[in-house]
Amino acid sequence: MEIAGQDAELPEIRRRSRYFALAVLVGFLVVAGRLFYLQVIEGDTFFRVTSDNIVHTEVLPAVRGQIRDRKGRVMATVRPAYNVYVTPRLLTPEGFARLRAVLGMNGDEAMDVWERVAEVGPNGKPSDRPVLLAEDISREAMAAIETGVDLPGVKIVAGPHRAYPMGMVAAHVLGYMNEISGDELRAKKDEGYHAGDLIGRTGVERQWDGYLRGRAGFKKIVVDRRGMPKPDIHDVIEGPAAQPAVAGNNVILTLDADVQKSAERALRNVSAAGVVALDVNSGRILAMASKPSFDPNEMSGHLTPEAEQRLLADRYHPLHDKTVGETYFPGSTFKVVSAVAALEDRLVTPEDKVKCHGSYEIGRRRFKCTKTHGIVSLYEAIVQSCNVYFYELGARPGMMDRLAKFGGDLGLGAPTGLGLNGEDSGFLPTEEWYREQKRLNPKAEGFQVGQALNAVIGQGSTRVTVLQMALMYAAIANGGKLWLPQIVDRIESPDGQTVEEFAPRVRREISVSPETLAVVRQGLVGVVNERKGTAYRARITDVEVAGKTGTAQVHGRHTELGGYEAGDHAWFVCFAPAGKPRIAVAVLVEHGGHGGDVAAPVAMEIIHNYFENVAPNDRDAPKVGLPKHHLKTLDVEAARP
Amino acid sequence: MNPARGVGWRRLRFRFDWTLTLSAAAVTTLGLMNLWSAVHDKQSNLFSQQISWLGIGVGVFLAVATVDYRTISRYAYIFHAVGVALLLGVLAFGKMVGGGRRWFELGAFHVQPSELMQLLTAVALGKYLNDSPALEGRTWRHLAIPVLIVSVPAWAIAKQPDFGTAFLLLLVFFTIMLTARLRLRTLGAIVGFATLAAFPIYQHLLHEYQRKRVEAFFNPNSEGAYQTRQALNAIGSGRFLGKGFLHGTQIRLRHFPALWTDFPFAVWAEEWGFVGCFVMLLAYLVLILWILKIAGDARDRFGATVCVGVAAMFFWHVFINVGMVSGLLPVVGVTLPLISYGGSSILTIAAALGLVMNISVRRFSY
Repeated sequence: MEIAGQDAELPEIRRRSRYFALAVLVGFLVVAGRLFYLQVIEGDTFFRVTSDNIVHTEVLPAVRGQIRDRKGRVMATVRPAYNVYVTPRLLTPEGFARLRAVLGMNGDEAMDVWERVAEVGPNGKPSDRPVLLAEDISREAMAAIETGVDLPGVKIVAGPHRAYPMGMVAAHVLGYMNEISGDELRAKKDEGYHAGDLIGRTGVERQWDGYLRGRAGFKKIVVDRRGMPKPDIHDVIEGPAAQPAVAGNNVILTLDADVQKSAERALRNVSAAGVVALDVNSGRILAMASKPSFDPNEMSGHLTPEAEQRLLADRYHPLHDKTVGETYFPGSTFKVVSAVAALEDRLVTPEDKVKCHGSYEIGRRRFKCTKTHGIVSLYEAIVQSCNVYFYELGARPGMMDRLAKFGGDLGLGAPTGLGLNGEDSGFLPTEEWYREQKRLNPKAEGFQVGQALNAVIGQGSTRVTVLQMALMYAAIANGGKLWLPQIVDRIESPDGQTVEEFAPRVRREISVSPETLAVVRQGLVGVVNERKGTAYRARITDVEVAGKTGTAQVHGRHTELGGYEAGDHAWFVCFAPAGKPRIAVAVLVEHGGHGGDVAAPVAMEIIHNYFENVAPNDRDAPKVGLPKHHLKTLDVEAARP
Repeated sequence: MNPARGVGWRRLRFRFDWTLTLSAAAVTTLGLMNLWSAVHDKQSNLFSQQISWLGIGVGVFLAVATVDYRTISRYAYIFHAVGVALLLGVLAFGKMVGGGRRWFELGAFHVQPSELMQLLTAVALGKYLNDSPALEGRTWRHLAIPVLIVSVPAWAIAKQPDFGTAFLLLLVFFTIMLTARLRLRTLGAIVGFATLAAFPIYQHLLHEYQRKRVEAFFNPNSEGAYQTRQALNAIGSGRFLGKGFLHGTQIRLRHFPALWTDFPFAVWAEEWGFVGCFVMLLAYLVLILWILKIAGDARDRFGATVCVGVAAMFFWHVFINVGMVSGLLPVVGVTLPLISYGGSSILTIAAALGLVMNISVRRFSY
């Protein structure tokens, strides 16, 4: 059939098959080039993608450090909590109904949760991955679930939960925590935060988060497509496969839980108030209370929408820290600044006297005094809180700027440096500021002497925080050291070793002469101990207290409305013992009324308890007593017209 | 009868083509290593089955190599007719698997005749070209029988539907016809017509999943691109030297449909890297070029045509398979010869290599 060897077509086929061979070569080169691109040029990228796909990094949460008071009493800790997880694919509607009853979910919550659980994955089936259904359930609920039959797909997993064993005590100082938001997570990616982490929101929990949180560990495991672990494969993991979590450090506060509790108890009869008690000789804060308070246990993971609504709608603003986050007119407590300014700039001597008729006229305006005091020296003006004496000083040229200068020197008008809870700087107006206001708004008055008259008694535009006042009085008490307030004493490792210790730091030695300070201190002793002193009725006998009352008038729209918000703020700022000061206390009761009647008893109770229970050895101090000479000069009744 | 034909076994022993055998054995060895890596940690008897198929394949190879190919060529049309009958049988009685009828069951085995049909078509074309010389080059007039030879099986395979294999059959056909003095102008006309026909085929004849694959190729993020993406990840992550034998991760941990049959190259590329891929491609290249050399040395048109056909089968399979796995081409179900798991593929290749060996050992006998 074939005519072999005579085939004229064979050479042609041979030739063409050589072209085909060439085409084969080219085809293989194209493929090889493609592989070179994928494996050599882009290889590293693909490699990363594949290891990300199959290496699942399990975060091992770090145990958060404790917050303790200065005596080591635990104020914030971590306790085990029981969380309910369900595997959606296994959960039956009956099981869910039972779970709902046990956990006491209401209709809306149950709907939300059910939607989350019933959500189908890409394969059209409910997920195999457990979903967190409820956190920190009660023991009763746990018992019901554990012993309950027919709850397929439901399991209870123990996890750490932040707890505040003292409840509402020092809530604003401690702060609270909640889940980190997506934005924060992106911003803090490099600091080792993970999705679902709790982060300190306020107080020490926020400010010292870096010390408290420790470092989360990780465990890398190889998983297959379904997320099932493949423990026998580990060569894919680059770098260490696991790193244990490092527990957070403990933060030891300067706070004394006893003083704190006593301060909070002393506020039992008022609605809204701020209290700061600190060590005069170190600036260490012993107590810092803001009323009304909140329960950080509730805020950290148990806040229902209703409770949140209730907290936000509360007219007394429980979440707001009234010791540093809010400013008030200082009222008469500011008169120590006025006295210091007048004495230092030699506008008056302690012996100079002014006659008080109950009011002071300047131009066509009348500035009222609290009552008619008659002829008063600086001492009596402080003791009885005579406004007219200070109006007279206020009318002197340049008094406004003088107040700003000495007030600033004493720490007002600027943040104290505590850093907690969005500290407000307060405000000290100057003449220039008033003129500036006029430039910005032609309807404003500009600077008038009247403004200086208001400023000199702590009204007008002057604003201070409770903490600033406590620090200022401490500086007056200790002879001129303005401390940097300190809330954290030291950092301890989880096993109790001191990691970092913070020594008291002086913010500034104030430039006020010791003589001036002595005059002011004598006046403050008189406020409490003179029979005519504004705080005389609140005085305690076991320790000599020096202080100043203040009754700050509130102006603004509430004054017209009347009611609670129109009442005066009651102030009392003091230190004790007067002869050898140890503790300074500032009390502000919002809309409480008269400082001597409302705020002073609170401070006195705190001081009494402090020397009774906490530091009885510090009570003994030389008495300052009352000045002898004032008996003959202070013939006020006779001087009355 | 030529006495030479009676001593096929002796001729085979004396003129045994070691290059052909060893290069094929090399590819097979790489394939076995690869299959072992892919299945060694699974409950699977794929590896032992593949060994069995390869054992049978060696028998088929020797059997086909021993009988003088001229004897075989005499029955070329009959073989072809049997192949077509099998295909039609598949269409009529085949097992529905994954939306198509591609095989039927013969006892315990799945018989998938579409692979074999490529070889049978090459043999039938060889017979035709051998019997009807065309000294002036072939034009339309000479295409009637060849087109008939290829179009019936191509239609039947496309009907299964298995467009990948049908397309491959056409590629083999064109390659053969091109070397067999088909005029370029004629070829150009055919290609032009095919291009025009491609669009309506895509629109109306392709199944949904097939269209998705094509779309996936042009849009790597579409849902059909899962396999391609996994394959690219596996290949690329092998980098230059690979993750090492038995150390591939993508294949063991990710779900990979049609891994043993269509995607073994991804396993290889991941574990052996670019270097391993290069070695494998080189082994294929040596094999294909050697087959083409045998084609050039063949003493008649039948031998030359069959060798070109077998070389074309190898080339297009490797090119399309690696091209699709590496994302150069859309995903079509095309096996990697001697590496993909599957009896039909291995036995077809064994028979094809047997024929080539047959032609090689008889190149000097007249």
